[in-house]
Amino acid sequence: MSGGLPYNTIVVLGGVAAIGFASGVVGSLSVLRKRPLVGDAAAHATLAGVALAFLVTGRRDIPTLALGAFLSAVAGLVTLVGIRRYTRTREDAATAIVIGVSFGIGVALLAGITTRGLPGAAGLGTFLLGHAAALTASDAILLAVMSLGALLAVTCLFKEFVVVAFDADYAAATGWPVSAIDVILVTLVAVMVVVGLPAAGAVLVTALVVIPPVAARQWTERVSTMLVLAGVFGLLAAVVGVLGSAAVPRLATGPLVVLAAAAICGVSFLVAPARGLLMRRRHPP
Amino acid sequence: MTSDAWALHGWSMATAATVSASCALVGTFLVVRRMSLLGDAIAHAVLPGIVVGVLAGGSLGGPLVMLGAVGAALVTVWLTQMLRAGVGLAEDAGAGVVFTTLFALGVVIVSLAASRIDLDPDCVLFGVLELAAFDLVSVGGILVPRSLVTAASVFILVGFMLAATWRMQVFTAFDIDAAKAVGLPVGSITTALLAATAAATVVGFEAVGSVLVVSMLVVPAAAAELLVRRMHHVAAVAIFIAVVSACTGWLAAWTLDTSAAGMIAVMLGGWYALAVCCAPEDGLVARTVARIALAWRVACEDSLARIWRAQEATGRSTVSLPAPRSILERAALGWLRATGCVEATAGGVRLSPMAARDAEIVVRSHRLWEAWLGRHADLPLDHLHPPAEWIEHHLGITMRQQIADEMAHNEADPHGREIPPEAG
Repeated sequence: MSGGLPYNTIVVLGGVAAIGFASGVVGSLSVLRKRPLVGDAAAHATLAGVALAFLVTGRRDIPTLALGAFLSAVAGLVTLVGIRRYTRTREDAATAIVIGVSFGIGVALLAGITTRGLPGAAGLGTFLLGHAAALTASDAILLAVMSLGALLAVTCLFKEFVVVAFDADYAAATGWPVSAIDVILVTLVAVMVVVGLPAAGAVLVTALVVIPPVAARQWTERVSTMLVLAGVFGLLAAVVGVLGSAAVPRLATGPLVVLAAAAICGVSFLVAPARGLLMRRRHPP
Repeated sequence: MTSDAWALHGWSMATAATVSASCALVGTFLVVRRMSLLGDAIAHAVLPGIVVGVLAGGSLGGPLVMLGAVGAALVTVWLTQMLRAGVGLAEDAGAGVVFTTLFALGVVIVSLAASRIDLDPDCVLFGVLELAAFDLVSVGGILVPRSLVTAASVFILVGFMLAATWRMQVFTAFDIDAAKAVGLPVGSITTALLAATAAATVVGFEAVGSVLVVSMLVVPAAAAELLVRRMHHVAAVAIFIAVVSACTGWLAAWTLDTSAAGMIAVMLGGWYALAVCCAPEDGLVARTVARIALAWRVACEDSLARIWRAQEATGRSTVSLPAPRSILERAALGWLRATGCVEATAGGVRLSPMAARDAEIVVRSHRLWEAWLGRHADLPLDHLHPPAEWIEHHLGITMRQQIADEMAHNEADPHGREIPPEAG
């Protein structure tokens, strides 16, 4: 690693950095809206979509699989809303049901594909825990462009998202289209989960939209600052995770990304200026 | 299929069923206490505990691993609660941070130590149910899978603990504040439940892997809760669903040559979907039937009332058939004629004596309500009809009597039409 990184690695790093940044930003809005685990349901549902997309098209390029993943993430979220709307199952149980059953469908499909030895099936397993090294430069560029698209959407609808996140009742009473804004936000979360999938994997990608925002919240009381900070934390975690799994090939990317984010989060809990546990003791409010 | 193959399937199915039963039993309380996601968090977070237990020389399902797992579960809960108290983090966000971190930590340790321990990331994610029948121990002279022995002991232990504290657990689950107020040790009761969850999760982890345990914990109880109401019924139905799903899931996976863990979760999902559709009181089918039945009754009553009003307006008993306003009303009119409630005569139709009484009650309800609204609500005259048109199908005799008493001697509605008397 002394004479500079290969071109592919640099592009993948850049792509993953963009993914991390956008995940932090979109995740902040989801955490502020008090729906931090929506991404988890979407993430576990993606696996079935990846497997189905492979079964239907026989291809395993990133655009095909990402489309499948996105569609099944949306199907999972629609199921979640349906359970909440039409049954008396509690919201947390509904989330757990979608997580467990959709992941079960994905695992069954994936195992079925693997035991039948379909050509090209072997690589699908990397979507479980993430394997950024398997990305090509063009994949990384595609994912980065999608991340920038999500960022653009957040920029355009910033005011709407913030109003709904902070006081949905007030927003509804003053005529904001709250449910439409919520649908857009949840769709953005689903997009970020899908985009983060190749890097962080279905099981842990949700951490990218939860941990950096929680860490950023410790440092600031301003929404815009929190979003940018969460983006930076997400970027750092993603880059550290990719570099770590490049250095130790046995390690999947996802867990390393999560541990990096968790380290940032832990430091934030302890030393953030106003809210940090250590700082508070010294300067009682 | 040979008897050897059956022995293999039988042992694996028995293991899967026992594991699911333990998970379903503790899941019943998790679901009622809105701790489903905590179950999910624990299922992920026990991983580092298990790994540390294995590294310290324990075997999967052994006491050392159990201890590690229960410890990790309690650490998860403690950390989540500390984050809430310390930095004001909402419980679900806190759980999201803690369990993903612990799970990631576990995966990293497993990946690094995979060569030294009999655990690898695949077995963490999918479990090793398929291998259950290859690791046998002798119990009273019979060779049974070691994992079945562990699962059965956990089931007995968890079952015994819950049975012994059943009333306290139920009380705490439904009203934790009241339980606290009457002096129940709510903290210990919750810790016992969490320890039971961790124990069930560890055997579940070995069978179906970290992620799919959550379906075993939550889905049977959530489905059972839609079907029955009493807590011990919910637990029994949940265990039944869990056992059946485990067996059918295993067989389906064997037939389709795929992952047993995945198929068990799929079967559980199927049961939940079935419960959503067929729940006796508020299942989709029951509610649709009730809605259609109501729409049909409304259409029939509206048709009778329209004929009655036409009779009242013209002063004749034979009137022309009112034009139906919807397909349902057309069908209702056809039905009323077929059953003789509406009789065809020369020059039109008339109501049978019984149908006339029914129609009178509907009109009476309608006009009583208009009169009551006219007195109590400051509404213009033309706004009285729509609410009355809706409520006329729902006013019982007691309510009609109350309104009539209040309107004493006022025999007309605000439009000046007579309110028909209560039919004898």
